Amino acid sequence: MKNLLALLFIAALAALLLYVVANMPPMGDPENPTATHVIPRYLEGAEEETHTVNVITGIILNYRGYDTMGEVTVIFTALAAALAVLGRERRGRIYAYVDRSGVPSSVIVRTMVRFLVPLIVLFSVYTILHGEISPGGGFQGGAIIGGSMIVFTTIFGLYESSRRIPQKVRFPLEGAAVMVFFLVGVLGMVGGGDFLTYAWPKAAAALHPALVTWLTVLVEIGIGLGGAMVLTSILFCMIREEEEIAVVA
Amino acid sequence: MAKDIVAGALCCVGTFFFLLGTTGLLRMPDVFTRLHPSTKCDTLGACSIIIGMAVHSGWSWELPKLVIIACFLLLSSATCGHAIGRSALRRDIPYWRKKTGEVEGGDGS
Repeated sequence: MKNLLALLFIAALAALLLYVVANMPPMGDPENPTATHVIPRYLEGAEEETHTVNVITGIILNYRGYDTMGEVTVIFTALAAALAVLGRERRGRIYAYVDRSGVPSSVIVRTMVRFLVPLIVLFSVYTILHGEISPGGGFQGGAIIGGSMIVFTTIFGLYESSRRIPQKVRFPLEGAAVMVFFLVGVLGMVGGGDFLTYAWPKAAAALHPALVTWLTVLVEIGIGLGGAMVLTSILFCMIREEEEIAVVA
Repeated sequence: MAKDIVAGALCCVGTFFFLLGTTGLLRMPDVFTRLHPSTKCDTLGACSIIIGMAVHSGWSWELPKLVIIACFLLLSSATCGHAIGRSALRRDIPYWRKKTGEVEGGDGS
């Protein structure tokens, strides 16, 4: 009886979903709402207007620069909220992280993590720097570094990982994303345009492609570093124990 | 043409192993027996698909990339399987035994 009811419910749900899918606009139709409003303008004008090969990067960092700046601020606010609740570690101290799992990590896992984490970080550097011309970018690269730090910290403990990324490196870089975005925006105003203008009107037109490329890469690096440090700081403040075990040399 | 057929066949073999692995993960009674089919997904399944893609791409710059992806996949998935199995063993999670007089064995722990 119960099975029959469940089966009937699933059948009704499937019928509803199939009905909705049947009424969706066909895939790849040029009459679709997504393809008729603002996308044609982006696809046609991105190459000349933003001087980026990758249209996605052009849209995210150039056409919708304000939106991305807001996202960066959201990430920074998340760190601020986590620190407001859990508190920042005292300057120059290293805190203990007690592995309560009961099963210490084995030699195989330790060796593999030690072997893989540098390669993961290398891949994230590639993702950040190549984001201008291929899929990827600052957000993804920063998240990859944050993920590698989570793996490293759970296996080797907070002491080892906060020796690798000490506080005095994390503090200035946490705001890197917001600061770099703001700096590039103000530079656009200095160059004679509006806030977040990549191609400065005062600069020679021949310089525009190179200028836009370098500013975009700068913003990508800022987002990547800032995101990675924010994730690492949130991880550290969530994972640490109350007592300090060592003073940083 | 023959290349496409071989590549498609290898990809089908890979998907078949993924299907087997998922079925085993859902149907097996305890941690150790579940671990056995689910680790096959990454090694046999994903590696067959990658070999199929390598056959499809032929001698090009995609080939070394696919080989590197396969190497990392093998290393990391083997390590994951080892870690899960080892911690289950050290925590004395009981093995599944077929109970006599019951139709459905295992308590789903």
